Amino acid sequence: MTAPMLEIDNLTKRFGGLVALDHVTLDFEPDVLHAIIGPNGAGKTTLFNTISGMLKSDSGTVRFRGTDISGMAPHRISRLGMSRSLQIKSVFDSMTVAENLWIAAQARQGVMHPFASRSRFGRTAERVDEVLEQTGLSGLRSVPAGTLSYGDVALLEIGIALATGPSLLLLDEPICGMGPAETAATVEKIRHLAESVDIIVIEHDMPVVFDLADRITVMAQGGILARGAPDEIANNAAVREAYLGEEEDDEDDPDA
Amino acid sequence: MKARIDRTVLLAVVALLIVAPWILQAVEHEFWLDILAEVLIWSLFAASVNVLFGYAGLLSFGQALFFGMGMFGVAIGIAKLGLGFWPALGLGMAVAVGTAAITGALAVRLTWHYFAIITVVFSLIFYFIALSAKPLTGGDDGTSFVMPAMLEAGEFELSLTDQTVQYFFILAVVAAAYFVKFLIVRSPFGMALMAVRENDVRASLIGLNVYFLRWSAFVIAGAFAGLAGCLFAMFGRYASATYMFYHVSGEGVVWTIIGGAGTLFGPVVGTALLIVVREELSNMWEHYPILVGIVVILTVIFAPKGLMGFWNALLDRLSQRPADRAAGEAPPQEEDAAAAPVPREGRP
Amino acid sequence: MDLVIALALNGLVWGLIIALIALGLSIIFGLLDIINLAHGDFFMVGTVLTWFVLEATGNYWLAFLIVPLLGFLLGALVERSVIQPIRGMAALSIVATFGLSIIIQEVVRAGYGAAPKRILPPIEGTIPLFGIEYDYYRIFAAAVSVIAIFVFFAFLHRTKLGTWMRAVRFDRDTALAMGVPARTVYMVTFALGFSMAALGGAVAAPITTVDFQTGVDVLPFCFMAVIIGGLGNLPGTVAAAVLLAVTEGVVTSFTDPTVARIVSLCLMSAVLIARPHGLFTGATR
Repeated sequence: MTAPMLEIDNLTKRFGGLVALDHVTLDFEPDVLHAIIGPNGAGKTTLFNTISGMLKSDSGTVRFRGTDISGMAPHRISRLGMSRSLQIKSVFDSMTVAENLWIAAQARQGVMHPFASRSRFGRTAERVDEVLEQTGLSGLRSVPAGTLSYGDVALLEIGIALATGPSLLLLDEPICGMGPAETAATVEKIRHLAESVDIIVIEHDMPVVFDLADRITVMAQGGILARGAPDEIANNAAVREAYLGEEEDDEDDPDA
Repeated sequence: MKARIDRTVLLAVVALLIVAPWILQAVEHEFWLDILAEVLIWSLFAASVNVLFGYAGLLSFGQALFFGMGMFGVAIGIAKLGLGFWPALGLGMAVAVGTAAITGALAVRLTWHYFAIITVVFSLIFYFIALSAKPLTGGDDGTSFVMPAMLEAGEFELSLTDQTVQYFFILAVVAAAYFVKFLIVRSPFGMALMAVRENDVRASLIGLNVYFLRWSAFVIAGAFAGLAGCLFAMFGRYASATYMFYHVSGEGVVWTIIGGAGTLFGPVVGTALLIVVREELSNMWEHYPILVGIVVILTVIFAPKGLMGFWNALLDRLSQRPADRAAGEAPPQEEDAAAAPVPREGRP
Repeated sequence: MDLVIALALNGLVWGLIIALIALGLSIIFGLLDIINLAHGDFFMVGTVLTWFVLEATGNYWLAFLIVPLLGFLLGALVERSVIQPIRGMAALSIVATFGLSIIIQEVVRAGYGAAPKRILPPIEGTIPLFGIEYDYYRIFAAAVSVIAIFVFFAFLHRTKLGTWMRAVRFDRDTALAMGVPARTVYMVTFALGFSMAALGGAVAAPITTVDFQTGVDVLPFCFMAVIIGGLGNLPGTVAAAVLLAVTEGVVTSFTDPTVARIVSLCLMSAVLIARPHGLFTGATR
């Protein structure tokens, strides 16, 4: 058995009286496409926020490829090679698609070059072209991100995360708001990405999750309800109960 | 095409600025040379507001603090410490940058409204300190001094007491500062600032140290404001606490917004326009500030990208026909492509 | 000792007047998300209008009625013409109110003149208080401020409009979703803010001078009260205004008033920084 790339140990996060994460202990092994599902308020986005440093946990540790990253600032975690997309899509609106990717690709090489022209960073430009290719956004490279369609913003969101050159990608509802054709294309892209990058994805769309993921983690009420391969999860009684009557619920998590 | 027009206009303006002393002499309006020098100095001050607001997305109403520090550094250096020209300039810059480094470390922990408020508060604190530290600053009356020579070599002496020398010195310094600003804007650092301006959460998630970037922008802006203050002290042979009041900061903001925040030359355009308007109108109508106020409000409502935003939109429409746009080959190196923000609220 | 008592009392009176003005600043900030750099000038307009009412009618008491009303109308006008078009542009709104401040000061300078003038209080005489003879009018001014502040809180809690204002302040999106008429609430809030500052001006006119620049001094003080009292905490604003003014009064009795002001400003920055509205906690609320 390979060593886990991400180890979460006893992680707890409270918002006032509400326990969003309740002593969560989880390991994610590499080279497997992971998905996290669960009803609204289960703590999925809070888990991502805590892992990526946007929120400080109340107790517990997170280790990423052997490094303790609990309490680390988001930009330092990102530089270790963990990159994430946000559920509420957020890109650099008044910059073009290419510029969005450029700064993401450059961020980890260092940006404290106040007097050097951007054109001197050839490797970054190559990386931008690569990501444009991977996400299929090449035709839109000079378009300001703020004017993109919703589906394209979602793609750019993934592209930005990808441009940083991560070894682990956390995707928070990457296909939320996409039409059926866009969804199918994006699922294919994610599957393709998973060949080179470790991916953990939060997703509400059950058919997509069961089609895409190798391993599924089910969360409920801040804890882990079940883990396993898609067919195990599909036949799990506890999971079925938790989901009864909740399949069509599309609202955002309150803890987002 | 757009880049070519911009370059032509820029070259024409620079050429005009270089021959200005002789033109003004020919038409016997030498008095305007001093106004031109003043426009240059204040446009450097406005550039300081622009670095913070236009590129890093932080609206400061306290840049006058660093302007005043530069002024007092030069004035006290010459009048009290007996320093020469260049050491006094160095002292002014050191004081301004040092103050910016310290106050910035605290101020950039805040954003939006709170940042604007704390910059006002910091500048007020130093304003009151300068007022009460009479032995050092001269309090209300300020400190005046006699200008030492810039360069002495035997018979030859170069001094700012010569109006033309003074003008060219100011022109050279301001032009150099704007060149540095140009380098910063098109550098990776400048792009990172814009990313922080657009979306600080996203910026931190791609690995940018938002706090450090904001602090760096604050110190750079402080250096620009401080340099403007040094020049203004040398220009007037005088330093006074009144230039540290937040109304002076507010004027810098107004010039920047009217000219176009987030564009390289917006601050110059705004400053030039409003100072020339002031010089021309104040003789005709005592209450011309009413007009300035109205223009400010109209700009904010109808043209939040300022005059340069207007100019850029005009050129875009002229040069970018739909056919060109489809080709989509504008490289990301274009420095104004990501410019001219209308800042939105922070994250929901 | 007498001096200390007198200055402390002066501070108390002044603090209550500032509280009245700062409450207006606070609701404008809380509901409209606007840093109103013209708020000090609203106060100044109050003092100047009082002077004009006094010139025209010779009746000071009339000013207490007319000035807040005029302030309300002016506030509504300003909201519709300047504030409403820039809703949602938080940073630029600061610039717009700075422009507004320039206009107001210059219009007053043109219409009223640049020379500061004094107004005599409508009630003369002194009464013995804590062992010193204290001005009747200042006690009256304090009483008017306290009553106005009470009326304001009663308005917020007892009327429909006030409930709407609190709802918008508490949770804007939900309030708007529930059908609170946003435009009316915004206009009334701004007008009320102007009106309270103007009333403060009418009350304070005999205590300070009537001058187109007084707003510049009052503004930082109001901001200190709002910030130190806690953003969004209206009773806190009142308490902070009184506390600051009394402290500055007492400190002034044995040192330079400038030093007192520096101390308050440092206190204010400490409060601002110790409660950072940082990166991920929602910087706008």
